[in-house]
Amino acid sequence: MEVRINNQIIQAAEGTTIMEACRLAGIHVPSLCYLKDVSQNASCGVCVVEVKGAKSLLRSCITRVTGGMEIMTNSARAMEARKLNVELLLANHPQDCLICDRNGNCELQELTFTLGINEKRFVRTRKEHYEKDESSLSLVRDPEKCILCGRCVAVCSNVQNVKAIDFSGRGLKTRVSTFLDAGLGQVPCTNCGQCALVCPTGAITEKSSVAEVRALLHHPEKVVLVQTAPAIRVGIGEAMGMPFGSLVTGQMVAGLRRLGFTKVFDTNFAADLTIVEEGSELLRRIQTGGRLPMITSCSPGWIKFIEHFYPEQLDHLSTCKSPQQMFGAVAKTYYAEKTGIDPRDIVVVSIMPCTAKKYEARRPEMDGAYLYWKERLHLTEEERFYDVDYSLTTRELARMFREAGIAFAKLPEEAFDNPLGESTGAAVIFGSTGGVMEAALRTAYELYTGEKLGSVDFQSVRGLQGIKEADVNLNGTILKVAVANTLKNAGLLLDQIKNGTSPYSFIEIMTCPGGCLGGGGQPIPTNAEIREKRAASIYLEDAHKAIRKSHENPEIIRIYEDFLKEPLGERSHHLLHTHYQERGY
Amino acid sequence: METQIKRPVSGDLPDEIIEKHRGKPGMLLTILEEIQERNQFKYLPGETLAEIARRLQIPYTQVYSVATFYSYFNLKPQGKHTIVVCRGTACHTKGSKALLDDIPGILGYKRDVDDGDSSFTTPDNLFTLKTVACFGQCAQSPVVEVDGVIHSSVNARKLLQIMNKLKEEETTKVLSYEAV
Repeated sequence: MEVRINNQIIQAAEGTTIMEACRLAGIHVPSLCYLKDVSQNASCGVCVVEVKGAKSLLRSCITRVTGGMEIMTNSARAMEARKLNVELLLANHPQDCLICDRNGNCELQELTFTLGINEKRFVRTRKEHYEKDESSLSLVRDPEKCILCGRCVAVCSNVQNVKAIDFSGRGLKTRVSTFLDAGLGQVPCTNCGQCALVCPTGAITEKSSVAEVRALLHHPEKVVLVQTAPAIRVGIGEAMGMPFGSLVTGQMVAGLRRLGFTKVFDTNFAADLTIVEEGSELLRRIQTGGRLPMITSCSPGWIKFIEHFYPEQLDHLSTCKSPQQMFGAVAKTYYAEKTGIDPRDIVVVSIMPCTAKKYEARRPEMDGAYLYWKERLHLTEEERFYDVDYSLTTRELARMFREAGIAFAKLPEEAFDNPLGESTGAAVIFGSTGGVMEAALRTAYELYTGEKLGSVDFQSVRGLQGIKEADVNLNGTILKVAVANTLKNAGLLLDQIKNGTSPYSFIEIMTCPGGCLGGGGQPIPTNAEIREKRAASIYLEDAHKAIRKSHENPEIIRIYEDFLKEPLGERSHHLLHTHYQERGY
Repeated sequence: METQIKRPVSGDLPDEIIEKHRGKPGMLLTILEEIQERNQFKYLPGETLAEIARRLQIPYTQVYSVATFYSYFNLKPQGKHTIVVCRGTACHTKGSKALLDDIPGILGYKRDVDDGDSSFTTPDNLFTLKTVACFGQCAQSPVVEVDGVIHSSVNARKLLQIMNKLKEEETTKVLSYEAV
């Protein structure tokens, strides 16, 4: 149908919203609450437009176009109302932008500037002053900065089906809160951080460890190792001002070296290790009649989700630790032994696209290396250390790069250090939904059949859709597999298992939309279009790798020869595998 | 590191209230209302809200959302006597703010109770003071409700009488207990 937008005639399909039609016409109508695929609350009033014949201004995010509609997005009336609505939000919003985590990347700040608001016209109406919620190991909520747009509530409820937060109270006392205002650390929040990713202001951010890491980098006795998750190399460039999905592996390594990390290693090494262990575990379960379907365990938000909501299905989870944790355990045992460094002097910092990794690193059971050394070095309880000391998000790393004055785009490409920087194409695709499945299939196929794979590309498990399934032919044996991203989709597969109708042997689950590349610790904004670009870069990196199967990684072969001996062996059991617990409410 | 919200001991809750309303439209409101009525201190403890969510298999946050939205629901123990001052426009113009400000003093406490749904309960749990947006009794403004009875055209003197009567009642009770 034909509609007129700011005197320009455009064609829009039936069902298009005014906001979408405007976008087609090249006009950006701002909004603080609407977010494609996430929320449509129509609560902020920023996207109002004037429509000829309509009594009041209309919210363009929820109003659909009709044939012949005449829309003005920039009439005096629309502009005034838009500005007024932002000014009203500012009445209760703190004005401490200079010291806010989202300074320079805040939708409210940007809009205030764009709309030319240069005075604070309205006084605060909220009577209560809310404390920050710092109860979570992963996230910090500052209700003072909240503009009640509802995006976080929508993503937590509609995308993740976790419902850890919702609106409470009424009128001026309306706020986003957890059950009983207990705090995120006290309720079944999975720490996925999608709320932080969609927040238009600084009301939800990761709990930062930048200061601690910075201090350790200058510590004379510490050996500070850094590991980078697969999804960082397709995200960090964006945060440093490069195009969406820029593949910047080499620059990232160079930048980390310039920050002062002793060695720059790759979580991908541990991802290859995970595949060898997990692939072996899958085959063992199939061959010995173990619990099937087996479900991947790399994504810590997902782990906490199943512990809270489906504890009766915990034995479906692979016992493999996530690559982050495997890396920590191996770095402080194998690498320490190899180099003769006292494990107490090793600091493992991981760069993750994830906020849940912060929680995972602090799980009490994640101290495999300490237990390994306890007898050997006569360590006391006070000397106990975690396998991973600090986990930073992509955004925190960008902060460190900027602080250090690193001109990221101009950095030369450098290579990871060895041995824990050696990895294959199978490891890099861990960063995308379907990647762990594909990597596992590449290895499982060859281990199971004893034959070489013709093509290593399993196209059927690629793509960013919510649930994918495939039949994989292992030389006559058909393996039914499924891949899901987002916890809502995970729940659907778990309900199948509960009802006894799950046809699968192996399931991959990732907490965040699109997998880790859309993680809660990734640069803001992250949306469907950006996720596609990051995914394309991930598969590009895989295609260009000389070795694309985890079990062919020479350093993986070496670690088994020199240290671990065999997959699922005694050492693996202590260092690379874990257990789970029911968490209730 | 992570302390989970305690689950109440089973049998703490009036099961039949939940079962009676399960599946009916608006069941949550009815259940919250009846359970609050049954509570000795006329309130909904956190464990109770958790138990309701668990039994009905609805999100905990939804129960909390509803319970905090309606000023009718109390999340803190209520005093034996409830005094509600109307803060509607008509009552306001007839001086209900002054009445509201007077009451804590009459009870022997220094405390501001503002408009909206905040409330004040005396430490001895005898009195709870709250406000309401409008009782719909504007013709007789200002009105103050005491234990469900609406007193109309209240002024400072009348308020003092009402309050003193309440206080006397409680003192006599204490005295008669002591006599026994």
